[in-house]
Amino acid sequence: MEPIVACKNLFKVYHSGGSSVKAVNDLIVSVNQGEFVMITGRNGSGKSTLLHLLALLDQPDKGEVFVLNEPTSHLSEAKKMDFRLRQLGYIFQEYALIAELSALENVMLPSMMLNTSQVAKKKALDILDKLELSNKLNRLPSELSGGEQQRVAIARALINDPKVIFADEPTANLDTVSSKHILEIFKALNEKENITIIMVTHEPEELFYASRQIKLSDGRLA
Amino acid sequence: MKSQLRLPFYLTFKYLQRGNVWTLLLTSFMMTVAFVNAIFVSALFNGIVVGSNQQIIDTYTGNIYVAPKDGEDYIKNGDMLVANLEDISGVSVASSRTVIPGQLEYKSIHGNWQILAIDPEQESRVTNVADKMIDGQYLNPDDENGIIIGRQIAGGDGVEENAFSFKGAHAGEKVDLILNGQRTQFTIRGIFYTKFLESDKKAYVTKKALTKLIPGVNDNSTMVAIRTANNVSENSTIEKIKASGVTENIFRWDEVAGTMKAVSTSFTSINALMTLVAIMMAAVTVFIVIYVDIVNKRKQIGILRAIGIRPYIIISSYVIMAAVYSIIGVALGTAAYYLILVPYFNTHPFVLPICDAVLHLKYVDYLARAEAVMWVSAFSGLIPASLVVRAKMLNAILGR
Repeated sequence: MEPIVACKNLFKVYHSGGSSVKAVNDLIVSVNQGEFVMITGRNGSGKSTLLHLLALLDQPDKGEVFVLNEPTSHLSEAKKMDFRLRQLGYIFQEYALIAELSALENVMLPSMMLNTSQVAKKKALDILDKLELSNKLNRLPSELSGGEQQRVAIARALINDPKVIFADEPTANLDTVSSKHILEIFKALNEKENITIIMVTHEPEELFYASRQIKLSDGRLA
Repeated sequence: MKSQLRLPFYLTFKYLQRGNVWTLLLTSFMMTVAFVNAIFVSALFNGIVVGSNQQIIDTYTGNIYVAPKDGEDYIKNGDMLVANLEDISGVSVASSRTVIPGQLEYKSIHGNWQILAIDPEQESRVTNVADKMIDGQYLNPDDENGIIIGRQIAGGDGVEENAFSFKGAHAGEKVDLILNGQRTQFTIRGIFYTKFLESDKKAYVTKKALTKLIPGVNDNSTMVAIRTANNVSENSTIEKIKASGVTENIFRWDEVAGTMKAVSTSFTSINALMTLVAIMMAAVTVFIVIYVDIVNKRKQIGILRAIGIRPYIIISSYVIMAAVYSIIGVALGTAAYYLILVPYFNTHPFVLPICDAVLHLKYVDYLARAEAVMWVSAFSGLIPASLVVRAKMLNAILGR
């Protein structure tokens, strides 16, 4: 099976106060389509950095990231942006919704880059309905609970039918019930819609939902 | 693609609709203040220039000034010329005057001031000296021994040129007019104060008094002041006067304004400089206000980039937002200027030694300043948004 996301000899170094830390150190990772992969490790092990690099949100110092079999190091920022828009969905730990947009508008936004606003609205309504947010369409992020905000963020990540969803500790700010709900949504997306999910987590019990674990330590595979 | 083009407007509308209302109010207020500052300075200096120019026209030269032909001392048949001029289209009224080459003496203080013989009724239609009496009264046409003098001749406390004046003459007192060594006593009928220094250094007697002093002078005038009809071009009226056969020298008022023309030119230069400073201040204010607003939205801009919104859409939305702020500022500034400042200064003008100045904003200046504020605002949106969009996306999102 062809890997949908992979990296080869990946390096990322952070410089701070005269010292440098290898957040990602010569990593080789490969994720196949349909997998639900959880990246785990202690604080500072490089989990989030790896996720940012794989999701094309950050630039490696060395090495190559492959998305849909295409090497990405030579791609322009515009092309990477196009990849993120059409092929990848990203979910932030702190939801990262636009404060001035309602739940519906937040979800519509990426789709409005590719479709008319009518089409974007129809797609957003469908997804929000599936995520049980039909009664919160016009609420602003500040009027939603943490779990609801994260579901809106998931809906936004799904709006352009991505092949891969990246999630950076999506349950870190949620209570147990909301966390379980979010993970079940991921599981359903993975199993029913064959969307590849790559998620960073701190919680060992969440591994139950994953098909595979990538454990990092000091920027390397543990 | 069409939807993409609408996105910046959509985002701007949502930011304004649901953003912090205090940010919107404060930014709009700052833009209003910046715009009012830009137009106020210009309007004030224009007001001083227009006010002082109007003082010259109203108190001395009229709009058009006729002087004797080159090489001649007098305009012959001045009153007939006045009658002919008043028949020309564009000319409202005219007044002939004769300068008396004499000296005035009051309580052993004597000095050389310009003494003009006038027809008081004719003169009062061209200049407003008759309305500017601060002591006594204006001349009666039949008065053969009365004189009115300007405040700078009468002198007194607070008078600008008191040192060279009668140092406190009043209406009813006597003053001698010395002409060719002959001394004739006149009664000061009144003292006028036009607030135009040059006019306030003149004295007027009637033509009847002059005829009594110099019987041969008859109807010889040394100048004719003409008031044009409202909204009639001075240049076109001059052409019509020349075409009617008048061969005397004809000047527009500003050609004989003397030192006031230099003052007026200086004010115009200062106005240009101050306006430039005001626009720069407006530019800096607008830039800071919008820059702070955009920098506060750095994380939001990072998120938009992360979810695939193109930089040009993000930048455009902030440029449009800055333009909206500037439109609000210009609109509120215009309202504040015309509804508050203009009425206030019309009733409380700036009292200056040369005139009472009110605000006077040229339409062209208004448009130029409104345009300048809008361009500055657009750049103020463009530059910080471009910088933030170019910054590392993750740093923007994670607040690093």
